[in-house]
Amino acid sequence: MKQMINTPPARTFRWLGVNGTAAELPQEAGNYTCSVPEGAEQTFVLQENSSLQKVTIEVGPHAVFRLIQIHRNTDDTERFSEIRVNCQESARFEWYRIVLGGNCYDNCSVALSGADSSFTAEIGYRLDGSDRLDVNCEAIHTGRRTRSTIHASGVMTGASAKILRSTIDLQKGCKGAVGNEQEDVLLLDETVENRSVPVILCTEEDVEGNHGTTIGQLDEDLVFYLSTRGIPQEAIYDMMARARIDAVIRRIPDPALQTALLDEKEAAI
Amino acid sequence: MGNELLAVRSLRAAAEDKEILKGLDLTIAPGEIHVIMGPNGAGKSTLAAVLMGSPKYTVTDGTILFRGKDLLEQPVSQRAKNGLFLSFQNPVEVPGISMENFIRSALDQRSEDKVRPWVFHKEVQRVLKALDMDESYAERDLNVGFSGGEKKKAEILQLLLLKPTLAILDETDSGLDVDAVQTVSRGIEEFRKDKDAALLIITHNAAILSALHVDRVHVLVDGHIAAEGGPELIGEIERSGFAAYEGDQA
Amino acid sequence: MNKEKTNVADVDRSFYDFRYADDSWKVKSGLTPEIVAQISEEKHDPDWMREFRLKSLEIFERTEMPDWGPSIEGLDMDNIVTYVRPNAERMNTRWEDVPTDIKDTFRRLGIPQAEREGLAGVGAQYDSELVYHNIRKEVAELGVVYTDIESALHGEYGDMIREHFMKLVPPTDHKFAALHGAVWSGGSFVYVPPHVKVEIPLQSYFRLNAPGAGQFEHTLIIVDEGADLHFIEGCSAPKYNVANLHAGCVELFVGRNARLRYSTIENWSKNMYNLNTKRAKVEEGGRIEWVSGSFGSHVSYLYPMSVLDGEGARSEFTGVTFAGAGQNLDTGCKVLHNAPNTSSYVNTRSISKDGGASTFRSAVVITPRAKGSKAAVSCQSLMIDDISRSDTIPAMDVRTSEANVGHEARIGRISDDAVFYLMSRGISEEEARALIVSGFAENVSKELPLEYAVEMNNLIRIEMKGAIG
Repeated sequence: MKQMINTPPARTFRWLGVNGTAAELPQEAGNYTCSVPEGAEQTFVLQENSSLQKVTIEVGPHAVFRLIQIHRNTDDTERFSEIRVNCQESARFEWYRIVLGGNCYDNCSVALSGADSSFTAEIGYRLDGSDRLDVNCEAIHTGRRTRSTIHASGVMTGASAKILRSTIDLQKGCKGAVGNEQEDVLLLDETVENRSVPVILCTEEDVEGNHGTTIGQLDEDLVFYLSTRGIPQEAIYDMMARARIDAVIRRIPDPALQTALLDEKEAAI
Repeated sequence: MGNELLAVRSLRAAAEDKEILKGLDLTIAPGEIHVIMGPNGAGKSTLAAVLMGSPKYTVTDGTILFRGKDLLEQPVSQRAKNGLFLSFQNPVEVPGISMENFIRSALDQRSEDKVRPWVFHKEVQRVLKALDMDESYAERDLNVGFSGGEKKKAEILQLLLLKPTLAILDETDSGLDVDAVQTVSRGIEEFRKDKDAALLIITHNAAILSALHVDRVHVLVDGHIAAEGGPELIGEIERSGFAAYEGDQA
Repeated sequence: MNKEKTNVADVDRSFYDFRYADDSWKVKSGLTPEIVAQISEEKHDPDWMREFRLKSLEIFERTEMPDWGPSIEGLDMDNIVTYVRPNAERMNTRWEDVPTDIKDTFRRLGIPQAEREGLAGVGAQYDSELVYHNIRKEVAELGVVYTDIESALHGEYGDMIREHFMKLVPPTDHKFAALHGAVWSGGSFVYVPPHVKVEIPLQSYFRLNAPGAGQFEHTLIIVDEGADLHFIEGCSAPKYNVANLHAGCVELFVGRNARLRYSTIENWSKNMYNLNTKRAKVEEGGRIEWVSGSFGSHVSYLYPMSVLDGEGARSEFTGVTFAGAGQNLDTGCKVLHNAPNTSSYVNTRSISKDGGASTFRSAVVITPRAKGSKAAVSCQSLMIDDISRSDTIPAMDVRTSEANVGHEARIGRISDDAVFYLMSRGISEEEARALIVSGFAENVSKELPLEYAVEMNNLIRIEMKGAIG
């Protein structure tokens, strides 16, 4: 039985086909549930033991939780993840999502209910062939002075397809909150399909929501600059694809993990 | 003839529909230092960009030979591989690529032999030291968050590691501070250790030139060379500006 | 303690709120094939139009309501009167012939003065019919046609109408487009011949007087190759306690290298459901410029769409939406890049106040054909208080690598520093806030002819300062 997954909080024109994705979810799910105690700091690398991963995290006061997810295109299996996080006072949740091909469906919903809590999503992808990436990412601000940053950056070639729905929901009571979304997508083949739905919802006054997207080709000045140093066009594209993934990995504040992920990336690209 | 590194003949170039270079000639031999001076809007930076192959300009007439080969036929990266270098006044920021990795990739493109990372790392450290630059430069993302002076230093660092045969230094509007002038001067000195390395310097700033043995000065006015001479021209222009040359237009 | 806020009563619209006794002829409320047939009869439709209406009604019946926008539950089609013929001869070209109460209505709205002062032609619709239409002699002599659409349907432009009518917005587009196809009445037809540049704007004004009625005017504008036109549309209605419905349809055909600017200041009363559809198709090298101010209505669904169908076609959309108490205004635009090297530029502002809700909604689609195209969207929203709502829901669908799409959005509040600065120069807080909001909406006001810009700023002032006594 197919069901609608990755449905965003706000719908839009039906003909765009972005209000959700019909998918058949696997019967069995891998569950990971965790409460991070006050003041603790935890980093968790989610292993793909199951094609449906359910992650539920309660991040306690002043605690930090980092979720790291990397997917390599090893087979055609569809991979689903459902991530639900609640951040208590001054808690922080960081989601690092690296997709190096395959078919990934991610639904990540983060409640910033505690005052001064924060959420950062760093999404980096490299899609080719018939790869598909379908993401719904929500930052729900209810606590005062909460912060969210959703940052996605990727490169697409072949007949790959991507949908990114990102929502900053500035709800009543979140005075002083700030939400930022930034997406940049590099399209390198005629046959790619890229859809972006960056939403800001707001029912509070003393808040700030910002969004920026750039979709398309590499900046002409950048291509020229790199060419003047002797790098041919194809190598520039390859270099930029790696740079985007590397930038995500290098934001993970764990040198050993960084090295491991960089190696994994090298093996995949 | 025979010993020319760069030979520009009757070069005409336009940006969109506006002609900027209107029949320009320029010859540089290996190891020479040439200076181009001229009023704002004369086409100095355009010349630099056209030599390097910027897509913003269209060459409408003329020829350019570099090391005996037609430069205009070559894509930008090929020009660089053949030994041409242009320093940018405002280089692009490239997040995700460290300075060291970037220059190493650029060198990797030039020959069959891969550059050995640790040998290269040593070389980077040596050049940084020679330029009196902090070691951390090598680790930082290419130009990201660099100040104007830092960007300038980063360009000189690339110049020294890529070792071109002709470097074009476009310093037109840069308003360099003392620190950056020193780095540029030190960089040029280091670059000139290779006796065949030639320089084309575009500048207003006589301070950079004072320590150099300039071979030839070209005054560029309204898209063509209005006057040429030895280093004495620099002082002359410092004193009296370009008015004398501008009046000269037919 | 709450910080001192501008104290605003419900918006004073008394200026627009006068009304006259409703002595018109109308069809029964609701929607049946009989009613549609009756409207068709009343309007002496040609056969094809009668069939078109009935077919549209079928489409209406089987089409779902939109499930993604503001609630329209308060709109019960069974209570809407779809056709109201004003108590007047159908069309007048002499102002003196318009009945007194209708004439007074438009006089109070400033229509005849505007015509004298700066318009090439004026049309005025009252409920379901155009009651006045006139075009300057020198403009008519250039071959420019500006008339009510029914006259055009029966006259020498009949074939042209048939060729274009609801071809850009077919009844299958959405439920209210189907409704429009079934019960449309009134509206304007404009034809500008090749290479004719109309130097001063044409204007149509729509006024809905009858309570519980719907207005379904159809505007069809054809700007031929190399021609140039500015068309202005104004709308208002007095407030009633029952729901009124506006489901007009605007179809604009912009020829090769032609330019059309379409400006709207919409100030429907707050019992109005404004479910209007506007669309422009632009040929090679042509250009559509939308200027849109949305101030009125209870609920709006309004997304003018540009179909860039020829190489190098361009679209500009400049909009401002101000939602106050009791309003839910869902506005924005759609752009379909369907040819190489097309470009679009969208710049919108929205303001939410006193519990009002405004949504900016957009769709930018770049098809595989549209290589070398560029799109830039910029939208800013201002929250005046913490009981209102402001949403930004853009979508981009890009299916070619040779395109550049940029989007930026920002939601924020009036900066305390700016208010403080103005107050330090002796301006009251209320005035300071009104000034800042007017400045915020300047993207639109600076695109409007002076008198409309003044009217728009007055509307903002009224909204910001409450009752004006």
